[in-house]
Amino acid sequence: MSELSRLKFYCDEGRCIECDGCSVACAEAHELPSGINRRKVITINEGKIGMEYSLSIACMHCTDAPCEQVCPVDCFYIREDGIVLHDKDKCIGCAYCLYACPFGAPQFPRDGAFGSKGAMDKCTMCAGGPLETNSNKERHLYGQNRIAEGKVPVCAAMCSTKALLVGDAQDVSEIYRDRVLARGHGVQTNPYGWNVAYGDK
Amino acid sequence: MKKSILLILLALTTAAFGAADSAIWGNDMIPNILGYDKEGSLKLGYYFTLLQSTYFKPLFLGVLLGVPAVFALHYLVIGPMIFSHDRKKIYVFTVFNRIVHAIAAIAFMLIIPTGVIIMFGATFGGGTFVTACREIHAIATLLFIISVVPMFFMWLRWMFLHWDDIKWLMIVGGYLSKDKKPVPAGRFNAGQKTWYWLATLGGLVLILTGAAMYFQDFKLEILAENGISQIDFLRANAIVHNALGLGVLALFLVHIYMSVFAIKGAIHSIITGYKEEEEVEILHSSFYKELKDKNEV
Repeated sequence: MSELSRLKFYCDEGRCIECDGCSVACAEAHELPSGINRRKVITINEGKIGMEYSLSIACMHCTDAPCEQVCPVDCFYIREDGIVLHDKDKCIGCAYCLYACPFGAPQFPRDGAFGSKGAMDKCTMCAGGPLETNSNKERHLYGQNRIAEGKVPVCAAMCSTKALLVGDAQDVSEIYRDRVLARGHGVQTNPYGWNVAYGDK
Repeated sequence: MKKSILLILLALTTAAFGAADSAIWGNDMIPNILGYDKEGSLKLGYYFTLLQSTYFKPLFLGVLLGVPAVFALHYLVIGPMIFSHDRKKIYVFTVFNRIVHAIAAIAFMLIIPTGVIIMFGATFGGGTFVTACREIHAIATLLFIISVVPMFFMWLRWMFLHWDDIKWLMIVGGYLSKDKKPVPAGRFNAGQKTWYWLATLGGLVLILTGAAMYFQDFKLEILAENGISQIDFLRANAIVHNALGLGVLALFLVHIYMSVFAIKGAIHSIITGYKEEEEVEILHSSFYKELKDKNEV
């Protein structure tokens, strides 16, 4: 696969209606404990007329994944299709990935000894983890592996306005481009084009 | 004092459970995402990523291998200092001194190796073992917390800069030769003073930065007032913690070498409280003179 064919999320800020359906679907599909939010809807410029818009945020599966760079136990791995995953059996819950992440994607259940941070949890783009695909243990630790079944990640699949796009970065970019050409920017925003976390975009 | 620390820790843990008004994933997340990597942002995410991915590990490895290598060379080329154990002994460390030091010593022997294991976690395969080390790293800090305050005050009066310290540094404490020439130093020499300040004040900073990372999700008014987000605060804590940890690791290795290898039998002074008279006469000559003037030797 070439560098360009990487799977990416993109939330069309002109379409997102802040229904929170994506985050609810994610939490339900993966049976996440309360307090763990792999996906979150945020509203920017709230209350400012003409400037307000909402976005659905989760792990952006960055090309230069800073979480992977800082992990002291090297528990991250990047699949050939660009999905950034991690091994919870290796993770020590140090939260360095959270410090490196610009999006606050890594989540930490307080289930370690004396209520300390347990293994990190984050969006897997519904691609599970390093364990045997669709095994009970994989499902328990990482949630559904919909990618292995040829399904779209649950958040994007159920997005009622199809604001949340997922797929090959180029395809996603073309869809967004067509939409913008057809309707213009709903809000005066710069396309955020989150591809890499740090450095030239 | 201890009660108030406990209360603060308790308050921090309860804050950590209130996910609804999280300092990291709550409303504060939005300006942080928008501000990242832009003009005017602190760029701490970028700096933390750069330091942690590229610099910290090699630096720790350098200290971990380099310091013992230099000492091995010193031991082979110059050799240890051997002082007579037949002369009188001078009482230098009280029972209180020794108990406080022992608690701190146990804490350091737990904290430092576990810290190194966390830093090189990938080499140890991560998982249960490294997680356990991370927990020990945190729990052993309680031992350090109870010893660092008395240690700071019990030795403070001898730890201020003195002319002897400059002279001591110029001749690297006399460790570069085997001649038994009196070395300019009071009760504590410049090396011990450096270690004292790094271990107490540096240690206090390490405790605070470590606690911030341990409790993670809490709110400090002072940060909000200065427009610093919790996540940037944590990044700064991690950078400071690792940088100071590097210094403590280096001087800890020096401390072990000096007490166990470089000066034969020196370690007994912190166990029994007595130093060999000749050791004091040579290595702490100003202190020895003082004792002589007072007719205490």
